[in-house]
Amino acid sequence: MIVEIGHFALVLAFALSLVLSVVPLFGARIGDSRLMGIAEPASLSILALIALSFAALTVAYVQSDFSVANVWENSHSAKPMLYKITGVWGNHEGSMLLWILILAAFAGLVAIFGGNLPATLRANVLAVQGMIAAAFLLFVLASSNPFERINPPPIEGQDLNPILQDIGLAIHPPLLYLGYVGFSICFSFAVAALIEGRIDAAWARWVRPWTLAAWAALTGGIAMGSYWAYYELGWGGYWFWDPVENASFLPWLSGTALLHSAIVMEKRSALKIWTVLLAILTFSLSLLGTFLVRSGVLTSVHAFATDPTRGVFILMILIAFIGGSLALFAFRASSLTAGGIFHPISREGGLVLNNLFLTTAAATVLIGTLWPLLVESVSGEKISVGAPFFNMTFGPLIVPLLLAVPFGPLLAWKRGDLYAASQRLFVAFGLSLAIALATFFIVDRVSALAAFGIAVAFWLVFGAVTDLALKSGIGKVSPSVALRRFIGLPRSVFGTAFAHAGLGLTTLGIVAVSALEVERIAVMQPGDAMDVAGYELRFDGLFPVQGPNFTEEQGRFTYSDRSGRERGEIVSSKRLYTARQMPTTEAGIASRGFSQLYVALGDRAPDGGIVVRAWWKPQVLFIWIGCVAMMLGGAISLLDRRLRVGAPAARRARPARPAIEPAE
Amino acid sequence: MVFWIVAAALTFGICLVLLAPLARGRADAADSRAHEIEVYKDQLLEIDRDTARGLISSGEAELARAEIGRKIIRLSDARDAAASMPRSHSLARWIGALAILSLPLVSWGLYAATGSPGYADQPLQARLHSDPSQASVDELIARAEAHLATKPDDARGWDVLAPIYLRLGRYADAATAFANASRLDEPTAARLAGEGEALAAAANGRVTEDALARFEQALALAPDDLRSRYFVALAADQAGNGDEARRMWQDMRADLPEGSPWHGVIAAALESDGADMLSERSEAIEGMVAGLAARLEVNSNDVDGWQQLIRSYMVLDRPQEAQSALERARDALGAGSPEAGHLAAFGLSLGLEVER
Repeated sequence: MIVEIGHFALVLAFALSLVLSVVPLFGARIGDSRLMGIAEPASLSILALIALSFAALTVAYVQSDFSVANVWENSHSAKPMLYKITGVWGNHEGSMLLWILILAAFAGLVAIFGGNLPATLRANVLAVQGMIAAAFLLFVLASSNPFERINPPPIEGQDLNPILQDIGLAIHPPLLYLGYVGFSICFSFAVAALIEGRIDAAWARWVRPWTLAAWAALTGGIAMGSYWAYYELGWGGYWFWDPVENASFLPWLSGTALLHSAIVMEKRSALKIWTVLLAILTFSLSLLGTFLVRSGVLTSVHAFATDPTRGVFILMILIAFIGGSLALFAFRASSLTAGGIFHPISREGGLVLNNLFLTTAAATVLIGTLWPLLVESVSGEKISVGAPFFNMTFGPLIVPLLLAVPFGPLLAWKRGDLYAASQRLFVAFGLSLAIALATFFIVDRVSALAAFGIAVAFWLVFGAVTDLALKSGIGKVSPSVALRRFIGLPRSVFGTAFAHAGLGLTTLGIVAVSALEVERIAVMQPGDAMDVAGYELRFDGLFPVQGPNFTEEQGRFTYSDRSGRERGEIVSSKRLYTARQMPTTEAGIASRGFSQLYVALGDRAPDGGIVVRAWWKPQVLFIWIGCVAMMLGGAISLLDRRLRVGAPAARRARPARPAIEPAE
Repeated sequence: MVFWIVAAALTFGICLVLLAPLARGRADAADSRAHEIEVYKDQLLEIDRDTARGLISSGEAELARAEIGRKIIRLSDARDAAASMPRSHSLARWIGALAILSLPLVSWGLYAATGSPGYADQPLQARLHSDPSQASVDELIARAEAHLATKPDDARGWDVLAPIYLRLGRYADAATAFANASRLDEPTAARLAGEGEALAAAANGRVTEDALARFEQALALAPDDLRSRYFVALAADQAGNGDEARRMWQDMRADLPEGSPWHGVIAAALESDGADMLSERSEAIEGMVAGLAARLEVNSNDVDGWQQLIRSYMVLDRPQEAQSALERARDALGAGSPEAGHLAAFGLSLGLEVER
């Protein structure tokens, strides 16, 4: 009964989302507050129904109810409980349901906290959210229903794809979807503004927090996915320019651009039309990403042909939303008033430059991702656009942007002084240069490029610090005043600094690993040892271990440093998941500071030894620490109290200011 | 029945929730421009705060205040002009009613088409504890497995389960079950031969070294074990010693009693001429390998393709070509790239030379 109630709730949510996408829109058109008033209770009811449906599916997974086709295809009674639960979204149907749940949750947030939005804007935004929900619910019900039943039920499931049975992949999709779907709110706001034919100031204030939240979640999702690929695939790589990765990177690039243009719009009411376009493009890229991955087009064009309903459906939704919103933009953009004017050298100008680079970079990645698909569908020939393409196109685009980042926050709004900004960055520049020279002469004399890359990374970090120091007036005023000012700085300033410094840390990790990494491959017998960047790695032997739904061979290693002192154990293993007869590798990783010793087992060699690949990955953890810092920056900026807008009806007294406010 | 009550309650509840705003008296939409002025006033306060913090100078603050002031004035003019908005419509009530009516119609209609309302949940635990006489073969196996999961030392349990696995085509499970029985009790000819057959079946009928070892152990325990004799002969045949295999099968036939099911099996084995088929197949394989090599010359980024090519050369016993393919792959993928490293590790496992 629980399963069927979940199914019914899903159908009812679909019916409700149809009502939500029509009635409030009409209410806003004729100015009727009762029809517009349907939007909030409808959004919240949809959220409740989808949550009920999701809970029902989870119960089916937990109880190993193999009468549900989706559970049978993706679960196994011997699977650990954690992976029974994460298996709910570890497959196509379940992950689409999660997608819709997050969509409904965001609409619910607008319904709850949207009290200070103009009534028509709120009704239109929720109606557009309703349209997205309706399209996706129809897609799920018609072609990927997670509640399809089997009678008689099989006795054992087919197990979840083993590489998904990992804690990393348990968190990765929900975070990624939070990002993808978070941009749907920006999209809905943009479309609502186009429907109304005007962008008011409240619009600008609302878009930035949503962009920030979505962007922070997407950053986390991508970082999580990259770390997962790093330790689970056993190749030692963290980013492969794989189409599936690109599909998540594209909305991140345009979302970063949106984040910055939204700042200009909020603070200076400029770049309005561009921001609307970016909001539409970002969500379109999210849709494209979701669908390219989910439909299986990316792994093989032929997956499209094996399930034509799904493929055609996907295409229709893409055309309806992307084409529809862009057409609406074309018709209505001219009726929007353009915002304020500014000098090319100004904070606005800097943010426009940022947008130019980011959107061009996104276009490059998009071409590199879609081109092979296009060629294959036209000529049937399989080509792959690998890392070299992206290194040659994306690299040169992103380096100037990184160099320009520290200047941005130092320029004044409307008209800025580049010379003054450069003067203030002199210390940061000098320090970065010193570190670059030190790297070149002490660590590695071979690669000047590595030294340059490390200089860029530190330039970003010191630039962020300089911004904070200048804004709190260090050196100009007495230390106690500076400290007070520092504490009193708006949180968004800290957010900016964290995000920009995080970008620097990630760059540092990437440069250090690509330039200074050491790799060793050898066939090892128990007792053998090899040298990896000064560490001695000794192979102790292979031991069979029986897991709950897999068998594994554990290779145990001991490593010691230059002085010969033993530093610890590394366990690296190869697993065989019995239900699917699928092997996986579990890399063994030991962290030394921010660097890691990484060991992966290969196959057995003919002479009875085993192939061992070992890497020394210097400063590799900075790649993800930087991402966490960026996320943190987003979160801090999100908490900035200045984002609140008072509703006109209630003219209450504002809450008292915190006592740290200087009395100047 | 309970399901229908819950479904009806859900539908009714949602309809009520939507009715609430519609039933409210007539209330006009607030003027959205008032919101906008509120935002600008907020910005003015923000400028005061920034000035107090020392983030902007008083001159800059004056400029910003003037700019926002201009926006407010422009908006106030527009506000007077836009005061006459169309108000509530008589159509609204009808549209609201229609929308609410559509909810049960759409949801019950769609569910009737896609749902299975009478089908109860089937949680695995409950199914395993139901009446055994009603259970299917699969369920009986699952019960036996559950029993063995709690008492894995029960050799007789494994003895029962192993041949069933073999019949059902779960070869890897069958091999494990036979091996468990041997380990827990003692290796008998039947258990060893069973394991060997399961291993061979898992390798698509090829008698692997592992499987052959099991059969030979079985023959050491019971020299006339028919299953082991048959498979040892088959192994000889597959290794290219057709004459020896023929001789072994003929010896075996001489020992068979009247009416043994093995007569048919051996007759079939003696009739099939393995050699011809083998050469045909290897020609086809050669063709495929050549095609793969040509494709990789054009599209040299395909790591899986390279891996397949190198493995094929090793299977065809052409290690030099495998070696040169490995080197071409390294050059194509770029020495030092993760893909090239992956291939190098793969090559090492096949016994090829790799630059370290």
